[in-house]
Amino acid sequence: MIHAPLFASAVAEKVGPLDVPWEVYAERARRFEIQLSGSRVEMTRGPLRLEGYGIRVLTEVDDQTGVGFQASTDVSERGIRAAAEDARSVAKFNRFPAHRPELPPGNGGPEHSPRIVDSALWSHPAESLAQEADALLGACDALRHPAPTFATIKATLVETSIANSRGLAASYAHTAVEREIAVKADGGPEGRPAGEFWVEETGRRIRLEGLTEKVASWYRFAEDARRGSSPSAGESTVVLPPEVLSGILPYVLSFQFGGSAQLRGMGVARDTVVGTPQLEITDNGLLDWAVGSSPFDDEGTPQRVRRLISEGKAGETLTDVLHANALKNPVTGNASRTTGFSLGGDYWRKFVRRPAPDASTIVVASGSGGNDAEVIEQVDDGLWVQQLGWANPDMVAGTFGGEIRIGYRIRRGKIAEPVRGGTVGGAVLTRDGRPSMLNGIQAMGSVARYAGDLLSPTLVVRNLVISGERSGTGASPT
Amino acid sequence: MNGDLRDHEAGIQRELKRIGTRTSFVEALAQRTRGSTVAVDSKSRNAVGAPRMEGVAFRAWAGTHWVESATVGIRDPGLEIAAEELLDRLGKTGSAGDPPGASASSTITFDSAPARPMRDLGNEGALAWAQEVYGWLASEPSIKFGIANLQWTEEERYYLNSAGANCFERLNRAFSAIVAVAVENGRSESYAESEGRLGGQEVLGAITQEKARTVCSIARSLLRTKAPPVGRMNVVLDPGTTGTFVHESFGHGTEADQFLRNRSYLQPLLGTVVGPESLTLVDDGSIPGGWGSLGFDDEGNPTRRTPLVKDGRFVGALHDRTTAAALGATATGNTRRSDFLSQAYVRMTNTLIEPRDWTFEELVEEARDGVVLERWLSGMEDPLGGRMQLKVRTGHLIENGKVTERLSSMVLSGSVLEFLRDIRGIGLEKDMQLSAGSCGKGHGDLLPVGDGGTYLLSRAVVGPS
Repeated sequence: MIHAPLFASAVAEKVGPLDVPWEVYAERARRFEIQLSGSRVEMTRGPLRLEGYGIRVLTEVDDQTGVGFQASTDVSERGIRAAAEDARSVAKFNRFPAHRPELPPGNGGPEHSPRIVDSALWSHPAESLAQEADALLGACDALRHPAPTFATIKATLVETSIANSRGLAASYAHTAVEREIAVKADGGPEGRPAGEFWVEETGRRIRLEGLTEKVASWYRFAEDARRGSSPSAGESTVVLPPEVLSGILPYVLSFQFGGSAQLRGMGVARDTVVGTPQLEITDNGLLDWAVGSSPFDDEGTPQRVRRLISEGKAGETLTDVLHANALKNPVTGNASRTTGFSLGGDYWRKFVRRPAPDASTIVVASGSGGNDAEVIEQVDDGLWVQQLGWANPDMVAGTFGGEIRIGYRIRRGKIAEPVRGGTVGGAVLTRDGRPSMLNGIQAMGSVARYAGDLLSPTLVVRNLVISGERSGTGASPT
Repeated sequence: MNGDLRDHEAGIQRELKRIGTRTSFVEALAQRTRGSTVAVDSKSRNAVGAPRMEGVAFRAWAGTHWVESATVGIRDPGLEIAAEELLDRLGKTGSAGDPPGASASSTITFDSAPARPMRDLGNEGALAWAQEVYGWLASEPSIKFGIANLQWTEEERYYLNSAGANCFERLNRAFSAIVAVAVENGRSESYAESEGRLGGQEVLGAITQEKARTVCSIARSLLRTKAPPVGRMNVVLDPGTTGTFVHESFGHGTEADQFLRNRSYLQPLLGTVVGPESLTLVDDGSIPGGWGSLGFDDEGNPTRRTPLVKDGRFVGALHDRTTAAALGATATGNTRRSDFLSQAYVRMTNTLIEPRDWTFEELVEEARDGVVLERWLSGMEDPLGGRMQLKVRTGHLIENGKVTERLSSMVLSGSVLEFLRDIRGIGLEKDMQLSAGSCGKGHGDLLPVGDGGTYLLSRAVVGPS
């Protein structure tokens, strides 16, 4: 474990004494990037140095809490005091229905610290990125594929620290690696347009092994995208791997089970039946190497596992200090300074936002359906969706829908012809028994894997709506 | 002293000169942002200052590729360290040769200078506005949750390079929005309206009580709407959705960095007819008040109007210096960084369709059967595949040339070129809207863009979302 210096405490010292509960969340970060166009290095970036902090104060106003917040990159004493003053001055205008909320105490350290630092990357970031880029090009070369048309690998190295008026002074370090890679298939006798597969992956570590298999599958998807045709319209059994589910479940579940939605009457009530009886979903902030893991949340409460859905019924509500107080619920350690939609800023710059309830890593418990091939064998007629353009999750309505970038028709338990175009969509979670993804699960794989903020097996879902160029009944022949 | 980023010119120039000893070209972009957000909802009232961010990015030519470093702060020691780190990247011997394309050497000053800046409202005034607007939402039946939101930023950008460019701009952006969530029998549906522009307090006038009432009424009606028909059909896009189509589905394919990577389905079509003669699409970063408007881009080139499609023919692409040099074009003022920590890419500014002469009613009658798509939510580009994906919050069924039932959220997909080919009518100037959007390129790097459109009739695949 690399111990981050207590930047937050240093900022707090410069603020000077405050007569209200306060908290400083601070980050010192470096980012490095390498960008390829074909096999050529197009650009290297870094270090991109960022240090900044957010000061939050909680004032008591009319039996409620006036929350004041100001973030800044000005680390001069004058800049820090100005930020603290601004936080104080806006607090008097603000109201939140919490009564004397208590920030996490200084004596409650985390029981477990997940592994979230790639030590080699931390020590030699630029060299590590160059190594991964070389490994990527080497894998393409070994498979006699052209280099990716475009690839960017970004490594972010962050020291996070929190200090507060209850004596908390805690810190941790973490690394994150984001990859965007485009591979293209063209040429050949077919005369078809080129096909592309776009890879978006996040993780905690540089990846030098196992690339060959991945690269082979990417080029296969790109080639299949050239041959894919639109599905026919109608309802169909759809098989969704974690790579697709990661664009749907974390968004909808995080909102529907979040304290913010609960407080405002939009969340799912405890014990509501939302899924099939075998469905078990937790939120786990302590998994090694998960991008959502950390020893404590973004206001200093130790991370833990929260039970969201058990035997198909809704369980815990995810809370931070303020929402727990307002809802009279326990604090679950779900204070998060992310945006809600992970758009490239969630591994640094968190200091610019105030905490709000959000999930860490959504974990769908594995079933008994076997590996992906075995899961497919259980589907007589259906559709495997490999990638959506964007799942467009609607967190309030609990729905999703997106264009099929690449998928496969399933016929008699086997992957058949590729599918491209058309859309798949429907409800993710309903509270009134209407058909949904979670209550329509027909089978669950036994092998869970990480994809973004999700750890899940592949799911087979009944009766999702397919739209395509042809009329018909879902994936059935026309 | 100007009291702005220009006060740091000497320090930045000093470092440019130092880096310039090892490269033929180096540039710096300094950025500072200030601002505020207020929001009032059913449970809370919040005013919060926008993050006070300031910093500098350096970019230098390393002989075969660009290298960059960046730091927060515009003072030493951060400035000096960032320059030193870039020198490390350039190596002891430095780089040989000039970078591709022409280096800007212009002096530009641009100030969006709104007549009534948002900062004059103060937190108290902004909260009073939000409280009043929230009151309109709260008084409506079945609205479980509503939010009134107001945001403004004042951004300074200061671009300097070793070729003598010296460009400063101040951009004031203001944004207002309302959201209503209706809840009934375990179902929740939301609807929203917003207005954003380069400007000031004029955005407050865009949210009226009448509009709040409409937003609530639509949110309520969404609880009972039926799902859209599925399959390929006639579609009438509302102005905002048309603008999103122009940006996401067509515009991204005109970003010439994708040409250099052989990642644009449009590249081989340059100079050919891609749509009806009535179709003209442009990117224009110089529109007064446009959400995506700027004085100059992040290579020091002035923004301008760039025709993309003229009278149905694909005539132009968007270029930075590198793509312009490689493809025999000129830079179009479209190089943008999300901020000083983000990369400079070819990006759109305000991208729009030119209006024509069809009324909405005529388009619906021409469609006979199909759907109207209303209130865009998002779009997704596919620069190589040339496919589109647009999501809208709601819409209406078209039956026998008339608008009938309201529909729930929909997603539109299909081939962009087929969609262009099938355009049968483009709406009037009076229906034009320039919406405020947020554009990412790949995974992140969000920046403000304007999407301009009017009503449009074509064909595409529709599905539920």
